[in-house]
Amino acid sequence: MATLSASRGSTGGVPVSAQGGRRLDLNLDADELATCVACGLCLPHCPTYRVSGEEGQSPRGRIALMREVAKGAAITDEFVDHMDSCIQCRGCETACPADVPFGKLMEETREAMVSGARYQPLWRRLGYRLLGAPRTLRTLSALAALAQRLGLLPRRLNLPHLPLRRGKVPLGSPTGGGEAVWLFTGCVMDAWMRDTHVSTARVIALAGGEVMLPGPRAACCGALAIHAGLRGDAKRLALRTMDAMPGQAPILVNSAGCGAALKAYGELIATPSAEAFSRRVKDIHSWLAPRMSLLPATVAAEPEVVAVQDPCHLRHVQRAHLPVREVLSQFAVVVELDDEGLCCGAGGAYSLLRPAEAAAVRERKLAAIRRSGAAKVVSANPGCALHLAAAGVNVTHPLDLLAKRLEETP
Amino acid sequence: MKRAAKAAGVGLPSALIADLRAATSPDRVRVDPLERAIYGRDASLCVGDEPAVVVFPVTPEEVAEVVRACNRHGRPFVARGSGTGLAGNAVPLGEPVVIVTTKLNKVLSVDAGERVAWVQPGVLNLDLSRHTAALGLHYAPDPSSQQVCTIGGNVATNSGGPHCLAYGVTNAHVLALKVVLPDGSLAQLGGLDPEPAGYDLRGVFVGSEGMLGIATEIAVRLMPDPPEVATLLLDFMDVSAGASTVSDVIAGGLVPAAMEMMDANAVKVVEAFVHAGYPTDAAAVLLVECEGLPAGVKASVDLITETGQRNGARTVRLAADDVERDLLWKGRKAAFGAVARLAPDYYLHDTVVPRTRLVEVLEKVYEISARHNLTVVNVFHAGDGNLHPLLAFDSRTEGVMDSVHAAGEEIVLASLAAGGVLSGEHGIGIEKRDLMGHLFSQADLAAQDRLRACFDPDGLANPSKVLPSPSGCGDLRPQVKVPAGAWV
Amino acid sequence: MLPREFSRDLLGLAEEVGTEDPVTPLGGSTQWEVGGLPGPGAREVRVASGILEYEPAEMTVRCLAGTTLAELADGVGEAGQMVPLDLPQPQKATVGGVLAVGRSGIRRLHYGPIRDHVLGVTFVDAAGELIRSGGPTVKNVSGFDLCRLMVGSLGTLGVIGEVILRCMPLPSLSAWYCGSADPFELRSRLFSPSSILWDGSTTWLCLEGHPADVEAQARLSGLRPCEGPPPLPQGGRASLRPSDLKTLTGEFVAEVGVGVVHLSEAVPRLTDERTLALQKQIKQSFDPAGRLNPGRTAWLP
Repeated sequence: MATLSASRGSTGGVPVSAQGGRRLDLNLDADELATCVACGLCLPHCPTYRVSGEEGQSPRGRIALMREVAKGAAITDEFVDHMDSCIQCRGCETACPADVPFGKLMEETREAMVSGARYQPLWRRLGYRLLGAPRTLRTLSALAALAQRLGLLPRRLNLPHLPLRRGKVPLGSPTGGGEAVWLFTGCVMDAWMRDTHVSTARVIALAGGEVMLPGPRAACCGALAIHAGLRGDAKRLALRTMDAMPGQAPILVNSAGCGAALKAYGELIATPSAEAFSRRVKDIHSWLAPRMSLLPATVAAEPEVVAVQDPCHLRHVQRAHLPVREVLSQFAVVVELDDEGLCCGAGGAYSLLRPAEAAAVRERKLAAIRRSGAAKVVSANPGCALHLAAAGVNVTHPLDLLAKRLEETP
Repeated sequence: MKRAAKAAGVGLPSALIADLRAATSPDRVRVDPLERAIYGRDASLCVGDEPAVVVFPVTPEEVAEVVRACNRHGRPFVARGSGTGLAGNAVPLGEPVVIVTTKLNKVLSVDAGERVAWVQPGVLNLDLSRHTAALGLHYAPDPSSQQVCTIGGNVATNSGGPHCLAYGVTNAHVLALKVVLPDGSLAQLGGLDPEPAGYDLRGVFVGSEGMLGIATEIAVRLMPDPPEVATLLLDFMDVSAGASTVSDVIAGGLVPAAMEMMDANAVKVVEAFVHAGYPTDAAAVLLVECEGLPAGVKASVDLITETGQRNGARTVRLAADDVERDLLWKGRKAAFGAVARLAPDYYLHDTVVPRTRLVEVLEKVYEISARHNLTVVNVFHAGDGNLHPLLAFDSRTEGVMDSVHAAGEEIVLASLAAGGVLSGEHGIGIEKRDLMGHLFSQADLAAQDRLRACFDPDGLANPSKVLPSPSGCGDLRPQVKVPAGAWV
Repeated sequence: MLPREFSRDLLGLAEEVGTEDPVTPLGGSTQWEVGGLPGPGAREVRVASGILEYEPAEMTVRCLAGTTLAELADGVGEAGQMVPLDLPQPQKATVGGVLAVGRSGIRRLHYGPIRDHVLGVTFVDAAGELIRSGGPTVKNVSGFDLCRLMVGSLGTLGVIGEVILRCMPLPSLSAWYCGSADPFELRSRLFSPSSILWDGSTTWLCLEGHPADVEAQARLSGLRPCEGPPPLPQGGRASLRPSDLKTLTGEFVAEVGVGVVHLSEAVPRLTDERTLALQKQIKQSFDPAGRLNPGRTAWLP
C-alpha cells in the first residue's frame, strides 16, 4: 500500500534531519513556500536545469530543498551549491502558473545562508562593497585596462575590452525646457560602458528630455548585493541612491538589472517614500517608445538586421521587454530568438563566480543567435552584453545603435 | 561542476555506490540526503521511499552498466525523466537506485524523407517538435506538460495529449526502441520497417511504466505540419450543452484534431494567468482544433459552429492567427498549475469514460466533490472521454486529506461504473495500483504479470507499481517496503 | 461495454479450447501460410461471429472474432463509419484472423497499422482461461498492453475471442489515380494521401476526404483517375525501411512511405538474438506445453 502525502512539500521515508548536521533557519514565509504545486512547468525555463538536467538545479528542486531545510533537515554542501548555482534570472516566475515568488524565496534563502552557513566569503563581500565605491572602482578599472593592454591579465578571466578613457555624459538638452529626467548611471556600467550613457543622454535630449545625473552617491543600485544575500549592504546602497535622486522626476535606467533593482526598493526598504521612488523608475525603452516620433527621422537605405536578446531582469522581472522592440523596429529589422527568453548565463557576478556554468548556459544562447541568422545582437543590460561579447558575439546596447543611427542621419 | 564526492555515510550501500561510480563517474552518483529526498517525488502526491542513490548516466552504455550493477547487488532501480508523472509512476519504492535520464538529451538523427527521428529518452517533448519545425515536421503526441516532459517518460506512460484524438497516443508514434532490459542486456524492439518479425514487443514496452526496462534510444514518427489549422473557442451556459456538442460532432462524422473542455472554475483560473479573453462567466468552454487540407477544415469549422449553436453555444470564436491560437492553448496547457490560485494543493485524477456517458459522470463528479466540501476543477480531453477532475484544497485544513482520498476513490469508481477505465494517460503507478482489481480479474492480472516476468524475472525494474501484489502465480518479486497509511 | 460476465459464446470458446491437446484457431484461412502451417493433429477451433455492441457516437465497435470484415463493414457502414482493415477477401477474412496475422491493409500510410485500431481483446489462454485486456475507450493506460501482444501473434499465445475496435468516419470521397510520377516525390508533395503504391514503373495513388481537397491534391499529383489499386503479387511480403524501396527491382508492388512490399515469393525475416530470446521466453511462458497453434512461429515469414 502506498501513501499520499498531505502536500507536495514533504517527502517520505526517514526525515533527513535524523542524520544530524547543521540546521539553518531560512525565515521563509510558509504560505509562499506552499504555493509551488510541483507541476514542473518551470524546469525548461531554468537555465541551470537546461544545462544540467538535475532537479536540484531547477526551481522546483530548489524549492523542495528549501522545504526540507525549513522542516528541519540539516543543510549540506550540496544544498549550498544548489542555491549558489541559481542565476536568479527569474525565468521560472514568468513560466509559473501558480505565481510562486521564487526570486524572493531565493534572496531570503541566501540571506539566511550568509548569516548561518558561512555563505559569501570575505573576498566576495569585499567585491560587492567595491561596487558602491565609484572612485576606487574607476581607479582599479583603469589599472586593469592598462594591464590588459600590456597583456598582464590572464585570458581565462574572460574580461571584455576595458576602456582607458571615458566620455562625458552630456547634461540637459540642446534647447532647454524639456522634461526633467534622472539618468541612473550605476557602477560597473559607468566604469566600463560610459559610452552607452553618452548615447542614452543624447537620445533623451533629442526626445525632449532634460538629463540630470545623480552623482557619486547613487554609485550602485545594490542588485548584486541583494542577489548575494547581503541585504544589509543592499539597503545601504538603496538609501544612498534614493537620496541622490530626489523630487518627482522620472528615473530612467538603461541597465535592465539596475532598473529591476530600483523598482524593487519599495519592497526592500518598505517605506512610503521608497515605494514612491520605485514608481518613478522606468526602463529607458519604456520611456522612449512613445516619444520615438519626436526623434529626427532615421530612415536608412538598408535597415540593419538585429537579434534581440532579452535581459532576464527586463523580460521576467520588469516584464518590460516589448518596448525595446518598439524602439528598434523604427530603424532596424528585429529578429526574435527562438529560446523563449532563456537566460544567457551572465547573471551579474554569476559569470565571474561560476564561469563554467555561465559558459554552458551561454552555449544555448549562442546557438539561438546562430539559428536567428543575425550578425548583430542588441542587449539592454551591460552584464549580458559583456558576457556575450566575451564569446565573440557582436553585441550593442539598443541606445548605442540608435544614437549611431541618429548621428549618421543628415 | 565542483562537487565533493563524499564517502558513503552510515547505512548507505557502499559497495553498490562504488560500482555505480565505476559505471558512470563519481560526480554523477549522488548520496547526499537532501538530493535523495528531492528525487523521492514526482508531480503527484504519491509518496514512496527515498532512493538509496541517484545516478545520472550520460550514455546508453552507462545506463546498461548501472542496471548491471543493480543486478549484481540485487538492488531495484527506477528510471526517471522530468518527474512530471501524476500517478507516482517514477516515485521510488524499495529504496532503489534512481536512474535519471535527463542528461541523455540528444536528438540523434532526423530523417526528413522517412519522417523518423531517433532521440534519447531525456529529450523534452516540445524540444523535438522545435528541432524539426524548420523541416515542416512535428511530433504529434502533445501532453499538457509537453514543454517539460521527456520522450522517455512519454514512452513509459504511453502519454496522450489533446491532439491524440485524431493522431493517436504515444504508442502509435513510436516505431522502435533500443532498450536496456532489466538484466542489463541490450535489445531492439520494433524497427523502422513496418512489420518487424515476431511479437510486438515495442507495443508492449510503450506504457509499461518502466517495469520492462529502460529505453535509451527511441525512434519516433514525425508528422507533416498541416497546411491549414483552425482553432475554435465555444462557450456554453451549462456543461452538458458542451458535452452534447462533443458527442454530436463525432456522431456527425468528424474527428477534429483536438476537443478540449474546461468548466467554469477552470476558465476563471486560466484567464487570470494567460489573459486570453476566455469568457469567465461561462459554465464551460470547448476548445476545438481542426487540421488538414483547406476545404476539409472549412467544412469542419462549419459543422462544429452549427453543432455548437444548435446545442446553445453563446459565442463561437475562431482564432484569427497563430498568436491567438497559442494563447488559447497556453491557457489549456497551464490549467493545472494555475489551480494554485484557488488553493495551495491539488489532486488531479485521470479516468476515461465512453463519450456518451460524459455528462452523467461529470454530474457525479460535481455531486461527489460537493458532498466532500471540495472545490473541483474540470479540464479534460472531451473528444476522448478522458476526464481530469482536479480537487483543489489546502492540506493545512484539518481532515481534508481524508475527504480528498474518499472523493477521489468515488470519482474513479463512478467512472468505472459508467464503463470507463482507470487511466487515460497518466498510468497506474502507485496511485491506482490497488484499484486494478476493479477493472481486471485475477486471471487478467496474472497474464499481465506473466508478461512482466518474461522481461524481468527478478522484479528489479520499478518494483511494486501497476500490478497489485500479490498478482497471482509466479510472483518472484522480493518483498519491498511500502510505507504504511494506505490510499484506498 | 466491458460486461463483467462473459457471454455464452466466449464461455463456449474457452471450453472448446480446453486445457490439454493442441489447437489451431481458424478464421477465413485467407493468410493461412503465414508463419508456417499448423502441425498435424491440432484440433481446429472456430470463433463465433457477430457485432455485439456499436454506438456511432462512441466510434467504437465490439464484435466476436469470427465476424468477417464484410459483416463488420456493413455493420458500421450504415452510420457512415468504417474500421480500416482493408485486407483481401473481406467476405472470408475474419476480424480475429487478420488481427492474429497482424498485417495491415494498403491504406496504412494514412490510417496507420491495424494494431492501432484495436482497443480491447478478450482471448482464451493456454490454460483455457478467458483473459481480458484493453477496454472500450480510445485512450487507456491501465496495465500492461496484452492487446498489442495478441496482434500479430498468430494464435500462438491465445485464441482471440472478442475485440473492441476503433471506428473512423467514412471519407466523403475516395478515389484512385495512377500514372508515372515519382512516388517518393509525391509522398513529400502531397498532404497525407491514403495510399501510394508503386511497381517500379507505375504509381497508384489513393486520395480521400473532402471532394475539393481530393481534386486539388489530384491536380498537384499530375496523375490521372483510374480503377482501384493494382492486383498485388501473392506469396511473399517484405518489410523494408521506406527509404530502401527505391532500390527494388523485379516483380513487386511496394507501399511507398510504409515499406511493405508485395512479392510472389517468401523472404526471410531477421531479428536480433536478445530480442529473439525474449520472444521465445514469452511463448514459453504463455504456452508452456506448446499447444497453441503448434507449427506456427510468429517470427517466421
